[in-house]
Amino acid sequence: MRHRNRMLAAGVFLAPALAMIAVFTVIPFVQGILLSFQSWDGVSPDTPFVGLDNFRWVMDDAEFWGSMKNAVVFGAVGLVVANAVSMVMALAVHHARRGSAFFRTVYYLPGVFSTVVVGVMFSWFLDPKIGIVNQALKTLGLDGLTHNWLGDPKTAVIAVAAVFVWYHWGFGFILFLAGRQDVPGELYEAASLDGARSWAQFRYVTWPGMSHVTGIVSVLTLLSGLQIFGTVQVLTNGGPAGHTSVPTLHIYQQAFQFNEYGRAAAMSVIFGACLVALACVQLWVSRRLGGSTNSRTEKGR
Amino acid sequence: MRRDHTAEAASPAAATFLSRRGFLGAVGGGLAATTLAACGSGGGSTGSSSEIVFMNQSRGQAAALGQLARKYTQQTGVKIKIDDVGPADFLTKLQSSSQSRNMPDIYSAMDSFSMAPYYKAGWAMDLTDRLKGAWGDTFRPATIKASTFEADNSQGVKPGIYSAHWESPAMGLFVNAAMFKAAGLDPDRPPATMSEFIEQLRKIKKSGKDPIWFAASLSNQLIQSYASNYFTDEELNATFTGKAGWKSEGWRKTFQLLVDLRDAGVISTGSLPSGNSDNPNVEKAFFNTRSVAAIYDGTSAVGVARATAPDFTDFRSFPVPKADDGTQTPRMVGGTAKGAAVNPRSKNADEALKFVRWLTDPAQQTAFAKEVPLIPSAQAVPTENIPRQLTGIAAKISDVQLVANQMNQQVITALQKGAEAIVLKERSVDEVLGDLDTAQRRA
Repeated sequence: MRHRNRMLAAGVFLAPALAMIAVFTVIPFVQGILLSFQSWDGVSPDTPFVGLDNFRWVMDDAEFWGSMKNAVVFGAVGLVVANAVSMVMALAVHHARRGSAFFRTVYYLPGVFSTVVVGVMFSWFLDPKIGIVNQALKTLGLDGLTHNWLGDPKTAVIAVAAVFVWYHWGFGFILFLAGRQDVPGELYEAASLDGARSWAQFRYVTWPGMSHVTGIVSVLTLLSGLQIFGTVQVLTNGGPAGHTSVPTLHIYQQAFQFNEYGRAAAMSVIFGACLVALACVQLWVSRRLGGSTNSRTEKGR
Repeated sequence: MRRDHTAEAASPAAATFLSRRGFLGAVGGGLAATTLAACGSGGGSTGSSSEIVFMNQSRGQAAALGQLARKYTQQTGVKIKIDDVGPADFLTKLQSSSQSRNMPDIYSAMDSFSMAPYYKAGWAMDLTDRLKGAWGDTFRPATIKASTFEADNSQGVKPGIYSAHWESPAMGLFVNAAMFKAAGLDPDRPPATMSEFIEQLRKIKKSGKDPIWFAASLSNQLIQSYASNYFTDEELNATFTGKAGWKSEGWRKTFQLLVDLRDAGVISTGSLPSGNSDNPNVEKAFFNTRSVAAIYDGTSAVGVARATAPDFTDFRSFPVPKADDGTQTPRMVGGTAKGAAVNPRSKNADEALKFVRWLTDPAQQTAFAKEVPLIPSAQAVPTENIPRQLTGIAAKISDVQLVANQMNQQVITALQKGAEAIVLKERSVDEVLGDLDTAQRRA
């Protein structure tokens, strides 16, 4: 009876949150899947079912699959480069004797801005005519290095990826810093006594000790990289000539520019399924790596 | 659809004793009712019976519109509320309003592709019969023609006219007079042909200035402008509706313009800017930093110049020069710009229509033209109200294309991408024309 009462009380407290989740997450999610089997222009009350037509159309859409390749590039950049940069910064700040509070603030600052602000800001920085990057190069007498960073297909993807890394490193940095501070100091003392140098200490103590944080940060930055939208839209809008197009931008165009909501929903379903699958793989790999390294650490203890 | 049986118990005061189950039911019912109320299915207008709501898309014309609305209220006693949504949020907010069946009494009318879903769903009054009389005679014929949905239009809209406009825009070239003079050129004498213009741009380059720039997002309009050298409006319409293919000699010659500009080395930075603010960046380069001698833009650019660089007025405009081997008289892309549609389901539909009629009257258009640099759609507006920077385009405002259907968005996107690819030497003209055929077929 008491258990039932407690359950009821819990239910009462949970009801508002569950209702909000249902209204703003679950129902739209289901509606989105439903919409992928319908044809809709975004306004008309008529939403006829078209079976698998939208999915067939998406399968034949070379641009969508081309944009998926870019998503993989940005995902890989997020997974490898952004994580590596933020981890190095976290370790550096952790060992800093002075100014660690200042660096913590400065490194985390980019993540505070909205993606649109970051996009606009960097579109000014990278402007071929009046951009601060080219102006700085000219000032330094490096006129030969000035470049149309966002207009040249060879540098556009790199430029967008660099902006993405700058924007996301603060998030990873904070988590890595917290993770590093959780690694017990005794392990380093023991490793030093065993003759382990910096790299060995990182390889056998720091890395395994931070494996759980690394797993979470990796999944989140991978998904952020795959789902990049605002930065690309503001900086290049998929240009030049589609070289920086990403699935989210393509989905946005189908829905809000072409009024093809059914096709956009079908793309979202396919893209969402790919993200879920990738996230599962990433978590599994992280667990495997974390598990093996943890067991190694345990043995070391 | 599951029925909600908790609605009756939703008022705790009605029950003498409320069990936990009843309480939970009440909470659930209340939430459901709130949610359903939020998705109301009213008949549709945001305004009260005493107030007309105008959802306005334009930032540049907001002040002038507000002034005119206040003047109308003083004259008639009818209160007009201008809801200045702005260009970024306008379509999103309009769509939300249509889905919640809570549409404004009047809303800005934009391009036919964006507005077609609203017209098809019955959210705009058909003004065809009303424009047949004296009201219609005040407009330039091109404005009426451009805002007409013909039978068998590609958007699937019932034939008719669903919007009234107070601006006759056109796309053309804007040149920095000082830079042209410095290169030994006369900015007041527009080039006779495209080859002459490219030669002028070469001279500009030799004088150390950046010759020409235009945004990727406007490349479709430049191409459509230039295509009028080789196609009649009917032939352009045939291509845009998919009845004629893109792979034809006329389109090859049209796209050759991009190749010629590229090979002459006169495109600033050697590429077309893209991004969400590509055209604002081009305008900034022309009006604010004055780092480029010529741009391709719409007549609304003069309003941008007045707002962001009021001290810079030494520029001229003219239509895209004719092709050396053109077979037709070239015609600008233009037709209709700022205007309004009336919500026929509104309680205030008749009053809203009266306000729109008043707004498009030559007297009000004259006031608009004084506040905002534009080419009015009313024939009776005196030409002295047209800014000097627009006279070059205004002189040819009768030579605008009157194509019954516009390119669909998928083709526009493919064309913009293709234009960039041609300038970057990544794709040939024929490959881009193939891409356009594919986009047309898959749309």
